[in-house]
Amino acid sequence: MTFWRKLTAAYSGLLSLLLVFSVAILIVPVSLQIFSRYTALIPSYIWTEEMARFLFIWMIMIGAMIGVREGTHFEVDLWPRLKPRAEAAVRLMASIGVLVMALVFVWAGIEFTRFGWNRTSELAELPLWMIHIAWPLTGFTWLVFLGERMWDNLRVLTRAQHV
Amino acid sequence: MSGASLLSPGTASWILFGVFFSLMFLRVPVAFALGLACLPILILEPHLDTGTLMGETFNAYNSFILLAVPFFLLTANLMNVGGITDRLVRFSRDLVGHFPGGLAQVNVVLSIFFAGISGSSTADAASQSKIFIEAQTKEGYDLSFSVAITAVSSVLAVIVPPSILMIVWGGVLTVSIGALFLAGIIPGLLIGLAQMATVHVYAKARGYPTYPRATLVELGRAAAVAIPALMTPVIIIGGKIFGWFTATESACIAVLYAATLSIVVYREMNLKGLHEALLDTGKLAGIALFCVGTASAFGWLLAYYQIPKAILAGVSAWNMGLTETGFFIALVFLVVGCFLDAIPAIIIVGTILQPLAMAVGMDPVHFAMVGIVSLAFGLVTPPYGLCLLISCAIAKIRMIDALKDVMIMLVPMLSVLALLILWPDVALFLPRLISPEFLK
Repeated sequence: MTFWRKLTAAYSGLLSLLLVFSVAILIVPVSLQIFSRYTALIPSYIWTEEMARFLFIWMIMIGAMIGVREGTHFEVDLWPRLKPRAEAAVRLMASIGVLVMALVFVWAGIEFTRFGWNRTSELAELPLWMIHIAWPLTGFTWLVFLGERMWDNLRVLTRAQHV
Repeated sequence: MSGASLLSPGTASWILFGVFFSLMFLRVPVAFALGLACLPILILEPHLDTGTLMGETFNAYNSFILLAVPFFLLTANLMNVGGITDRLVRFSRDLVGHFPGGLAQVNVVLSIFFAGISGSSTADAASQSKIFIEAQTKEGYDLSFSVAITAVSSVLAVIVPPSILMIVWGGVLTVSIGALFLAGIIPGLLIGLAQMATVHVYAKARGYPTYPRATLVELGRAAAVAIPALMTPVIIIGGKIFGWFTATESACIAVLYAATLSIVVYREMNLKGLHEALLDTGKLAGIALFCVGTASAFGWLLAYYQIPKAILAGVSAWNMGLTETGFFIALVFLVVGCFLDAIPAIIIVGTILQPLAMAVGMDPVHFAMVGIVSLAFGLVTPPYGLCLLISCAIAKIRMIDALKDVMIMLVPMLSVLALLILWPDVALFLPRLISPEFLK
C-alpha cells in the first residue's frame, strides 16, 4: 500500500511539474504573436495561435487531473456539518459520480483518440491524437487518484464500525 | 433538428436539470454533475453518443479567448510574489487609512487597484484573504465582518476592467470587449464607493480603529512607488481600445508587465515564488476551466432540444418593458449565480437571455453589464459563491457564519445594480464618449 501511495505521489509530482511548465510556456506563443506584429525582427508565425490553444488544452486537463487528487473541484455543500463517518459515506457516494465520469472519459476518450489518429491540425499540422489523447489519459488518471481517495473514505467508514 | 429527436424538449430538460441538481445536492463536484447530466441523453438519443461529450469539451477548451483566464490568474499571483501588492497596500493605506475603519477601507481600495490590473475575482479573494483577514481581526475587527468585506470587495475584479467575465461575454455573445472594458469603469467605482460607505457605517457603529492621516509627502512617496503598477490598467485598456492587441493578448501583456515590474523595478521575485505562482495558476485555472467544458456540453444539449426557445416563449408572453426586462435578467443571473460559476453561467444562461434583451431593444453592452454585475454578486452568494468559499476557507470559518454581514453589504451593492438597470448611461456613458464606434 505504501508503495502504491509513493507511486501516485510521484505521478502527481510529475503532473505538477508539467503543469508549471505548460503555464510558463503558454506565454511564449502569445507574446510572439503580439511582438511579431510590431517588430520586423520576428516573422509573424501562423502557428502561434494554434500552438497556444493546444498547450492550453493540456494545461486544463492536467489541472483537472490534479484537482481530483487534491479534492479541489468545486462542490456545493448544502449539508450540515457531519460526523466523520457520515462525512466519509457522503464523500464515497459523491465519488461514484466522478468514477462514472472517469470511466466515460477512458471509454469515449479512446474512441476520440482513434478518431484523431490520422488527422493533423489545420495550421501547425500537428497530429491531432496528441491532443485527443489527453481525454482518455485524464480519465485514467482520475481512476488512479480517485481509487486512493475512495479507499481512504472506505477505511474511515469501516474503522468507525469496529470501535 | 428537434423534429427528428427521440426525446421531447420537455423530457430532455427534466433529465438535464433533474440529474444536475440531484447530483449537485449529493456533493458531486459541479463540473462532473454537469457532464453526468448529459449522459442519459447521450445514451438515449439515437443521433448522439458519448463522443459528443468529448467533442464539445474539446471545442470549449480549444478557444483562444479563454486563455485570458490563466493569464489574469498568473498576473495576480505574480503581483503577490513580486512585491506589487505590497506597494499598492502601502499606497492605499496612505490614501484612505485615516477614514473610519482604516484597514477595511484599505481592503476595498486595494481591491479596486487590483481589479484594474487582474481580471480575476477568485485570485483577488485568495490573495487578499491572506493579507487582510488576520490583520483586521488583530486590530479588533470582527472575524465575520473581515471575511465578508474581503469577499465582497473581491467581486470588483470582474466588474472593473480588465475582466475575465467581459472577455468571455464578448467572445461568447459577440459584443465589443473594448466597449465592455469602458462600460465597467463607472459601475465598478460606484460599487467600490458603496462598499467604502458600508465600511464607514460599520466602523462608526462598532468603533473600528483608524490610522493617523498620512502627510502629503508620505502620500506622494507611496504614490510614486505605486505608479508603475497603477499604469497597468491604462496600458491594458488603452491597448485594447486602440486595437494594439486582442483581449487575450491584453491579458498576456498584463503578465509580462507584472513580471517586468517584479523582476526589474521592485526586484522581489525569486525562483521559488515564480514556481509557486505558476503552479497555483495552473491548478486553479485547470479546475475552473474544466467546468467550462462540461457546461458547454450541457449548454449544447439545451440548444439541441431548443429548450431556451421553449422557456423564452413563456417569458415573452409577459410583455415586459425595457426596465422590467432589465430587472428580470438581473434576477435570473443572481439566482443562477447562486448555483453556478460565472463563466458557465454566461455560456448557458447568457445565450438563453440574449434574444429577450434584444427584443426589448436593450443595448448589448448594457445587457452585458447587467449580467456581469449580477453574476459578480453571485460570487459571494451561497451555496456556491466561490469568493466567499475561498475567504471562509482561508479564515477557517463556515460560510454560514459570515453570511449575515455579506447580506448586509450586498444591499448597497444591489442598489448600484438597480441604478445601472434604471439608468443605462451608468454603463454606456464612457464607451459613448470615448469610442462610440463600439456601440451599435
